[in-house]
Amino acid sequence: MLPRLLQPWFRTSANRLFPGKRFGINSLLILLLGLGVCVTIYLVTHKVLNYFHSQNELGVILSLKIFQMAWITIFAMLIFSSMVASVSTLYLSHDNEILLAAPLPPREIFFMRYITTSINTSWMILVFTLPVFGAYGSIFSAGPLFWPLLAVAVPTAAAIASGFAMLLTVAIVYLFPAKRTKDIVLYLSLCFGIFLYLVFRMMRPEDLVNPDKYSEFIDYFSAISTPVGPWLPAGWAANMLSVYLLDGRVDWLMLGLLVTTPLVLFFVGEMVMEKLFITGFSKSQESFGGHMAFRPVRRFHSTAAWIFRKEGKHFLRDSSEWSQFFMIGALVVVYLYNFKVLPLDRSPMPTQYISNLIAFANIGLSGFLAASLATRFVYPSISNERGAFYLIRTGPLSLGRYLLYKYLFYFPPFTFLTLILVLVSNSMLQITGPMYWISLFTELLTTWTCLGLALGFGLYFADFKTENRNATMEPGAILFLFCAVLYQFVVILSGLWPAFRLTRRWLRHGGMATLDLSFILGWAVGMVILSLLLVLLLCCWAIRKTEK
Amino acid sequence: MTAINDHMLELRDLTKSFGTFHAVDGVSLTLGKGEIYGFLGPNGAGKTTTIKMMAGLLLPTSGEMLIGGFNMVKEPIRCKAITGYIPDRPFLYEKLTGDEYLRFISSLYPGDGAWPLPEAADDYLELFDLTEWRHHLIEGYSHGMRQKLIMTSVLMLDQPLIIVDEPMVGLDPKSARIVKELFKKKAEEGTSIFLSTHSMEIAEELCDRIAILVNGKIRATGTVEELRALAKAGSGHLEDIFLELTGAFELQEVIKALRTGPRGVVTGNKQPGGPA
Repeated sequence: MLPRLLQPWFRTSANRLFPGKRFGINSLLILLLGLGVCVTIYLVTHKVLNYFHSQNELGVILSLKIFQMAWITIFAMLIFSSMVASVSTLYLSHDNEILLAAPLPPREIFFMRYITTSINTSWMILVFTLPVFGAYGSIFSAGPLFWPLLAVAVPTAAAIASGFAMLLTVAIVYLFPAKRTKDIVLYLSLCFGIFLYLVFRMMRPEDLVNPDKYSEFIDYFSAISTPVGPWLPAGWAANMLSVYLLDGRVDWLMLGLLVTTPLVLFFVGEMVMEKLFITGFSKSQESFGGHMAFRPVRRFHSTAAWIFRKEGKHFLRDSSEWSQFFMIGALVVVYLYNFKVLPLDRSPMPTQYISNLIAFANIGLSGFLAASLATRFVYPSISNERGAFYLIRTGPLSLGRYLLYKYLFYFPPFTFLTLILVLVSNSMLQITGPMYWISLFTELLTTWTCLGLALGFGLYFADFKTENRNATMEPGAILFLFCAVLYQFVVILSGLWPAFRLTRRWLRHGGMATLDLSFILGWAVGMVILSLLLVLLLCCWAIRKTEK
Repeated sequence: MTAINDHMLELRDLTKSFGTFHAVDGVSLTLGKGEIYGFLGPNGAGKTTTIKMMAGLLLPTSGEMLIGGFNMVKEPIRCKAITGYIPDRPFLYEKLTGDEYLRFISSLYPGDGAWPLPEAADDYLELFDLTEWRHHLIEGYSHGMRQKLIMTSVLMLDQPLIIVDEPMVGLDPKSARIVKELFKKKAEEGTSIFLSTHSMEIAEELCDRIAILVNGKIRATGTVEELRALAKAGSGHLEDIFLELTGAFELQEVIKALRTGPRGVVTGNKQPGGPA
């Protein structure tokens, strides 16, 4: 029997996935696409790991180091999304009015929020990481306990992240004189930035992949068995699984820490909630700050200008939105920092090959970042019109033009972010020649296409009655993310061969063959046509559906 | 369930400040058992803030709130267990059906167990013409249907105190009539009802006593007759009394300005041959 407060969440999810008690076409489509993406991720990871393993012992060790890095990164992402979600679920949820007016002890509300926040913030990361971890299990021929250990490690890491984030949120809202929601999110953003900085500085990723730190290979090998960041839950999970992958031994201490920490955090959180929540909630209601006067607008009064202005002001004046820039900034800095500390000069392979390979792989990473940001900001931008969407529908503005204006609004910031990511990382990797232009072209193309897809999906699945505009559990959002990732896979995998040919020749002989150039140009033209077709077809489809 | 007390609701010098602004400023009132109390006031007077404090959604800066003799700040669960709250803009889970929503609300209050549905729910659904919609998703409900569903969710609980913020918003005349009759019947049965409204007609017809809130302070309180005497409004309607107590002279100035204003907003004296 589900606890009573979880019933609406459960029923809502069930009604969403099984409209009319049937398994809807949309749900089936999402499931199939999700499976497709998972299988693809599994196959690609399997291939990469297989390559590592076919090299030498160093390849095995490096793959495990990447495994540990992945865990730390995943945990940082979980904390990030949990912090944002905690503010929304604890203080901004519309159902607070019902729940807090009912005779419910705060600890019961905390339990419900703890469970739903953990699921809402971690499911997407789980979907994308399970195939990766599965590939590790397969390549390392892991023993029978690998999957049970993984089944414990992943949800406990998620529960620890949300438990920590919720505890911090409740304490911050209570301690600080937060008169408006922006303050809450702002404080959380700063905490997250500091946390992320500390995590990466203490983890020292540059040392993790630096065999020179160890006098002999056996030392390096045994170093894997020692916890990475023993103070960090992600380190416990990574270490426990690494030890099991390597020598089939279960590290009971790490397992114990993983299992008990969420419980401890939950009980501490429950106590803190009981003592501090209602005061904090009352404070967060006191949004009595709307008396600031703004200067009147004197220039640029076209429809486009007013749509840009409306979008911009809406975004910037809603401080729960802009303060997330701090978090994105922190993530970008950490992202780029990893390129700075890559010990390329110590690599057994020629540095240029490695750096070009990383630059190409970076297309996928930054593409995923763009798709995630588009899911968070661009996809919900249509639904965010909510009740005011009638203004667009009844006004003399076509939906197509409206979408175009929206696209143009999001175009500069996303392009800027992509350029920062690709230019700075290429500069750190000292990339010159064709790979520089290939990565630049591909990253911009995938970002621009993701923008269009996010708007298309956003319009097609627009829900003007949504209670949480940042909800990423919506079928449309899931579908968009799957499609965006699938599209990026297609672009990157289809470009792998022509890019490899061109770069290899350029690195060996310093020139480019006409045939290679024509291959890469053909690929580029093909991808541009594919991208345009995808975006235009989807948008036309969404417009037609909305107009009906 | 209730503590020994003559009043179902008692506010003592209740104050809520946002920085230097006092949204509610020293409000004191009592609501007896079976009494309907109207809370009137212009926009921004502090009605909703007061009601949110009474519902346990906001903590007061100072003062006391006693519900059934229990202190809302010290014993919120006991107070909430005997209170039904109908907000002005109610939240409903869009992806639940009306039936599921009612069962969920019912499970939050002391009762028979998980997912029970009081028998009264069927009667109210029938009364509000919602029976055939009860297994449909709420996202398909009209504004009025939502309002009726939220009314059902509170009335079915049969709480001794009902707090209502703007009860008739979005209701059709038939449903509004039903709600008024229901409130009267509930009050006869001993339920205390505290309602905030902008409708003078509802206040005049339903309320035993009325308080008029202006700038966070109670400007006047009493029965309609007492208020009439206070406002020296003769045999005037509650609207005249309200305007008199909340600054009717300003309204007279506004009407005068509109009628004689240079832009001719009301008089509409367009120049011949001017644009249509």
